[in-house]
Amino acid sequence: MQIHTRIVLGLVCMLVAVWLVAPTLVVIPMSFNENKSLAFPPVGFSWQWYENFLTNPEWSSSFFNSLKVASLVAVVATVLGTLAAFGLDRMRNVTTSGFLRMLLITPMVVPGVVLAIGIYAVYLDTRLVGTLTGFVLAHTILAIPFVLIAVSASLEVFDKRLETAAASCGAGRLTAFRTVTLPLILPGILSGLLFAFVTSFDEIIVALFISNPYLKTLPVQIFTSITRDADPTVAAVGTILFLATSFIIAGGLLLGNRQRKG
Amino acid sequence: MRHFPGNWIQAREIPLHIRDTHPCEVFGVSISQTGLASTAEAASEPAKPPPRRRLHLAGNALWLTVPALLLLLGVVGYPLLTIVLRSFSEPMWGLQNYVWFFGTPVNLVVLQRTFEVSAWVTLACVICAYPYAYMMTAVGPLLRMLLVLCVLVPFWVSGVVRTMAWVILLQDSGVINSALRWAGFGTVRLIRTQQGVVIGMTQVLLPFMILPLYSVMRGIDLRLVQAARSLGARPSRAFLQVYLPLSLPGVYAGAIIVFILALGFYITPALLGGPRSTMLSTLVQNQVLSLLNWGRGGAMGVVLLVATFILLALAAPLMRQRHRQGARR
Amino acid sequence: MLYSRKEFGRSRLVALLGMLAVSMPLATATIAAAQDKPVAGEVKEGSLKGKTLTFVSFGGIYQDGQIAALQEFIDRSGVRLLSDGPTEMAKLQAQVESGNVTWDVVDTADFAPYVHCGKLFQKLDLSKLDTSHIPPGQVGECNVPAMNYGMIIMYNTEKYKDNPPKDWKDFFDTEKFPGVRAIDGSGDPIAGLIEQAFIAAGGDASKMTAADIDKGIAKIRELGPDTIFWKTGAESQQLAEAGEADLIMMWTGRAMTAARNGAKYTPVWKDWLVVMDHLAIPVGARDPDASYALINAYLGRKSQEILTEKTSYSPIHNEAQPKVDETTAAYLTSTPERIRQGYQHNIPFWVQHYAPTVEKWTELMAGN
Repeated sequence: MQIHTRIVLGLVCMLVAVWLVAPTLVVIPMSFNENKSLAFPPVGFSWQWYENFLTNPEWSSSFFNSLKVASLVAVVATVLGTLAAFGLDRMRNVTTSGFLRMLLITPMVVPGVVLAIGIYAVYLDTRLVGTLTGFVLAHTILAIPFVLIAVSASLEVFDKRLETAAASCGAGRLTAFRTVTLPLILPGILSGLLFAFVTSFDEIIVALFISNPYLKTLPVQIFTSITRDADPTVAAVGTILFLATSFIIAGGLLLGNRQRKG
Repeated sequence: MRHFPGNWIQAREIPLHIRDTHPCEVFGVSISQTGLASTAEAASEPAKPPPRRRLHLAGNALWLTVPALLLLLGVVGYPLLTIVLRSFSEPMWGLQNYVWFFGTPVNLVVLQRTFEVSAWVTLACVICAYPYAYMMTAVGPLLRMLLVLCVLVPFWVSGVVRTMAWVILLQDSGVINSALRWAGFGTVRLIRTQQGVVIGMTQVLLPFMILPLYSVMRGIDLRLVQAARSLGARPSRAFLQVYLPLSLPGVYAGAIIVFILALGFYITPALLGGPRSTMLSTLVQNQVLSLLNWGRGGAMGVVLLVATFILLALAAPLMRQRHRQGARR
Repeated sequence: MLYSRKEFGRSRLVALLGMLAVSMPLATATIAAAQDKPVAGEVKEGSLKGKTLTFVSFGGIYQDGQIAALQEFIDRSGVRLLSDGPTEMAKLQAQVESGNVTWDVVDTADFAPYVHCGKLFQKLDLSKLDTSHIPPGQVGECNVPAMNYGMIIMYNTEKYKDNPPKDWKDFFDTEKFPGVRAIDGSGDPIAGLIEQAFIAAGGDASKMTAADIDKGIAKIRELGPDTIFWKTGAESQQLAEAGEADLIMMWTGRAMTAARNGAKYTPVWKDWLVVMDHLAIPVGARDPDASYALINAYLGRKSQEILTEKTSYSPIHNEAQPKVDETTAAYLTSTPERIRQGYQHNIPFWVQHYAPTVEKWTELMAGN
């Protein structure tokens, strides 16, 4: 590669990287704005929007609602998705398993609004609007594809002769699963769990339709706040989420590094 | 070997979750199925995985998928069926909602615009992601970690917050325009325009392009490029005739997922766009939430749904063929 | 009606006492009656303990101000108040049709309570409210006013230095006053704007016919493809603070907030559009009596003063004397001068032609 090609390539990459990261970073200074405004640049310095997030019941309750929904979804979707991944992996008929896999992944490609109005219509009739059950059901089906993909990927590289070996040593089906299969595909399951959690925690389109004053999730609260009011609390929430995730990921990386070294 | 760092082989590891959630999977094409796993990769694995289908311990495994399928039926199948039915039955049975949709110029303009914007976003994603993904394969582990981080950072902040950040960046007094004015360029109208929507959407969708591209590129056997070079091909020719064709499956996979996701985009165009950059999703939402016209909203939704599935159907064989070619290589 | 024997006995006793009361001095009877009658702004201590009410409005400083005005009601009655919004008729309709109404008191724009009275909104039992201090002519069959306000043109002070626009004619004159316009596209058709557009097109608004609606809308469309239709008050405020439009049609409260945040814009008061919001109770609301209690508290003098102090919107209590600072005072619409300058659109005409107007307005909003 010529030297100038490399320079151009490097520059392009830097621009793309800035483009990817800038919107996340611009939120941080906005969260300390003194005015109740989102005009740039921010004026002065104040903690009031953080205070508002912590003390205003609308913000805190929507935050805890999201936490509750996402945790339930993570568990339910991981169980259902892992079961399905196993079922598909063990299926003899490749055409059937391929077809079922495609079906289970459709929620990823169905346009969000179309699915949302459908769910809204059904929930209005069944009185599931604004209920925990309604949220968990809808978000679970959106999260299952991620679990399915993650677990399937681990199953694909998993050497199934190990299971056979366990069976030939007298282990029952469940014991073999618990002592051999599960530990080996655990990373896949865990990343599925994580993705299921994030999918639910961040889901907005369906949530916009099925939330009501009694149950509102954080993204809906953020969206209504943006559309109803130029409220820097949104920026404060964004900053908090950003920092929290950074710490978790940094912690994970450190832990991973230490394990690899040790 | 100057242009291909020597640590290329060791440097293939990427965080597990990226590998695991390869968006190509959506089309039933897994990464390992793309057939492009390099010889280096094969060599690094101690043993080939055993044959996939086993006969014992399995029984009929169908029942394991039943719970998920039931949920799918209840929360996706039934709602979509409801929408399809309503599009034909409200306010009365017939095709009137579709006649209205295709007979109203506004809707056709928006439909066309939706495809146009999606195409622009896809193009922008390919152009930006290609060098970026290539760079990810070509740099040392530390720098690669940084590049991966930049791709993932956007996921750390709620999508809605990110869109709001774009409002802050794009508005006339925003960061971009302040910088432009400072550099003496004057103001460029970005917010409430189609360009603004494309810029915002591209950023949101870029990771979906970079990750599949990267996973294909890291599997390309660079010795093939070297072989071409040593046979006298100029760098540009070696790239165009060897590297580019090998990376195309990644481009296809990324492009199709970006295009499909873009078609259904809702939040970003709603917040960044003006009335003249409305996309189909916004119209659907408007019909249902603001006008409570389930028939018309449903018909629009069905159009969007059908367009998505037609695209998928068209793209799937294309991609399958591609990776078969790759495998034959 | 079914009475148990015991109750029947009691009611006979009440009747007997009533007969006694007739012979008593009139003053006593008046006091007794006054105790039953609601007084605006008052609520019984702890009367709504354990109950939850959802108050729906349009957000921003307006809803913040409304909640502040209701704070005493919340504290005294012990109610838990949730807020939601923005008010959208379709959302309410979906709730009413599915029989699962979660909104208890709804703040609506001009026409909704007249158009949907009896269908989406309950006919009000005025004996449960103290409407005696509301300015005349503002109480409807299904609604009481929530506040009075105006829609004004805010123009970019720096852009039109020496030759600023003076009225709606100038707003519609893109040759003499080039620049980007921003219009309220938050939902309902803006009747006052359509009338002003019709006037700018050479029509006489007092003799407007159904066909003239098209002429008005055509005039708005002529403003060109640059025109911004803002969807929320927040957006209009953002437009002014970021300087993105040169002539912005704004709600007075949002205009005031933008000016307070440093937006360099000047209001045009000639023919400002007189508008009001209403409070209404949805059909099928969970606890109508609690909804009445909230509205009654809202109508109180002190609440109205707080509302105005926080928002600059005009109180609907005739004795309210809000203490406001200079910036807020500049945007009050209740001063004699402002009342003289205001322009009132023809409400009965628009209520009558509501449905076709909505359709045309929606098309305009969709950008075509």
